[in-house]
Amino acid sequence: MSQEFPEAIVRLDTFSSAVWYRGKRGRYLIEGSKCGNCGELFFPPRAGLLCPACLERKMEPHRCAEGGVVVAQALDDMGFPAWGYGDDLPRHMVVVRLDDNVHVMGDVVDVGPGEEVAAGLRVRAVLRKHRREDTGAWAYGFRFVRDTKGEKGGS
Amino acid sequence: MGSIKRRVMMLGGAMTPPNVPMDWSWRQLATEAYCGALETVGVRPREVDMACVAYNDRTIVDSSIGPQVADALALAPKPVLVTSSACAGNGVASWAAWNAIASGRCDVIVSLGFARSDNFDAMEAMNSEGNYCDYDYLMGLTHINYGALRDDYYRRKYGATLEDAARWVWQCHWYARRNPLAAEFSKPMPSLGELAADTPDAERSRQATNRGGVASAFVLCGEDVASRWTDRPAQFDVAYAYRPPYMGNFNNWPVDGLKGYDMAELSGLMVAAKEAYGLAGITAAAADVCQVHDLTAYEGFMAIEALGLAPLGKGAQYTRDGGMALGSACPVNTYGGGPAFGHGSVGSDFQAGVIENFNQLRGECGERQVVGAKVGVNSSYGTHHSLDVVGVLQRRW
Repeated sequence: MSQEFPEAIVRLDTFSSAVWYRGKRGRYLIEGSKCGNCGELFFPPRAGLLCPACLERKMEPHRCAEGGVVVAQALDDMGFPAWGYGDDLPRHMVVVRLDDNVHVMGDVVDVGPGEEVAAGLRVRAVLRKHRREDTGAWAYGFRFVRDTKGEKGGS
Repeated sequence: MGSIKRRVMMLGGAMTPPNVPMDWSWRQLATEAYCGALETVGVRPREVDMACVAYNDRTIVDSSIGPQVADALALAPKPVLVTSSACAGNGVASWAAWNAIASGRCDVIVSLGFARSDNFDAMEAMNSEGNYCDYDYLMGLTHINYGALRDDYYRRKYGATLEDAARWVWQCHWYARRNPLAAEFSKPMPSLGELAADTPDAERSRQATNRGGVASAFVLCGEDVASRWTDRPAQFDVAYAYRPPYMGNFNNWPVDGLKGYDMAELSGLMVAAKEAYGLAGITAAAADVCQVHDLTAYEGFMAIEALGLAPLGKGAQYTRDGGMALGSACPVNTYGGGPAFGHGSVGSDFQAGVIENFNQLRGECGERQVVGAKVGVNSSYGTHHSLDVVGVLQRRW
C-alpha cells in the first residue's frame, strides 16, 4: 500500500485534520495526564475526564518520559498493514514501559539489518512522520529508536 | 445492584451455516437467524416482546439501525435495542435481554447478532483499526498488532510454546470436523506438526478462520412462561465487564478487579466470570463444558485461566494434559473455536458458544457430545479484551 495520497477512496478512510489537531500534544510530546488529586499518571491523555483511581476531575498535563524498555514486540508481517504504512513493512510493533511506568504502544524505526527488536530493548522516543491526514499534509508523532546511551528523560 | 424478580430461561437458538449466499442482504441474513431461532423453539413472531441486537457492518447507518432492524424483522412498533460493543456485542445484547426478562418487563426476547462483513472490504475496515483510535489507529497500530503484541507478552511471561498453541488449535479442528456449522467442517484435518511449524503460514493457521457473513439468534423467556414452549429449558445467566481499550493500560489499571494484572491476564473476563457465576449460583468447578472465543491459541489459554478452569499461566498445561478433549472434567471449544469454527465477529462470537452449550445440555452434539453435561460456560470478547462477556447455561429439567 502506497503512502501516496491521490485517490478519493482513501479519503473515506482518513481521519480529518481536526482529529489530528486535537491529539497533537499526545503524539508530539507523549503528553498524557496526571491526576491533581492522587497523582496517578495516564496515557492516552485524560484531559477533562475523571480519574478512574480516585474519581476526582483534576487532570493536569503530564509529559511522559521519553525513554523506556520494550515489554512486548511483534513484527507486522501478516499482510494487513495500517493505512498509510504499507511502504514501511515489516514494522517492529512494540509496547514500551516508559521510565515513569506509563505504558505506550508504537513502533521501533531505524532498525538496521541484523538488529533485533525484543523485550528488554532500551528505546527512546523520536518525532517522525506517520501518514497523511485528509488535507494531504503529513501527520507527525512519536516513534521509537534504539537507545544505546540508556539515558532517562521525562518531567 | 437491584433485585432479580425471576430466572431467565433459554428456549433454543439458531445460526446461519458457513458460506451464506452472496446475494443475501444483511436484512435477509438477520431474518434467517431470527426466524430460524423462533421456528426451532416454536415461538410465533407475535409472541416476541422485543429484540436485542448487535451488528457489525459499516454500510448500515449507525444512528438509525434500530428502526431498520425492527422493520426487517416485522417487529415494529415493538422495540429493538441495539448495542455497539464489537465482536462480543451480542453478549451485551443478551445482557440487556436478560435484564428486561428478569425484571418482568418482557416475557420473550430474541437476542440477535449479525455481521455481513463482506458488504465492505472487511480486512481494510476492521484489521487496520486499533482499539482506542486517536493513539493507536492514528499512529499505525492495527487490530492484528494488538493480538500479536499480547500473545508475545503472554508467551514470555508464562512460557507457552508454539507446540502448545498448535495443540490447542488441533483440538479445535478435531471438534470442527464433527460440527457441520464449523467453517472447517469439511476441510482436510491439519497435523500437529503442520500447526506447530515456525513459519508465517503456520502462524496464520494458528489464528482464527474468517466465517464471512453470519447471523445467529437465541430466544430467552421468563422461567414462569417457559413451559408454554418446552419442558427442557436451560437457565441462562450473563455478565460483562470492560477494561480500558488502549492496551498499554491493561497493565495495573488502578481500579479494583483490574489492578495487579497485565497484558497476559484477562482481568475483565475474571470480573465478568465472578458475576456470572454468582448469578448462576455455581463455581468454575461446576462447568461440564466450556466454549471460549479465541482468535489465537494464547487467547484461549488466557480465557480458560480467567474462567477458572486452570490457574493463571497454566492454560497451556491444561491443554497439554488433555483438558480440552472429550473425557476430561471440562472439555473446551467443542464448537470448534475461533481457529476452526471461525470468527464470525458480532454475528456469532458469543452466541455460537451459547448455542453449542445449549445443544450440549440437550445431548444433541453427536460425536462431539460431552456425556451428561449439565452446566455450560462460555466467554467472548470485543476490542481485544477491553470487553469480556461470560454466559452460563444450566439444565433445568
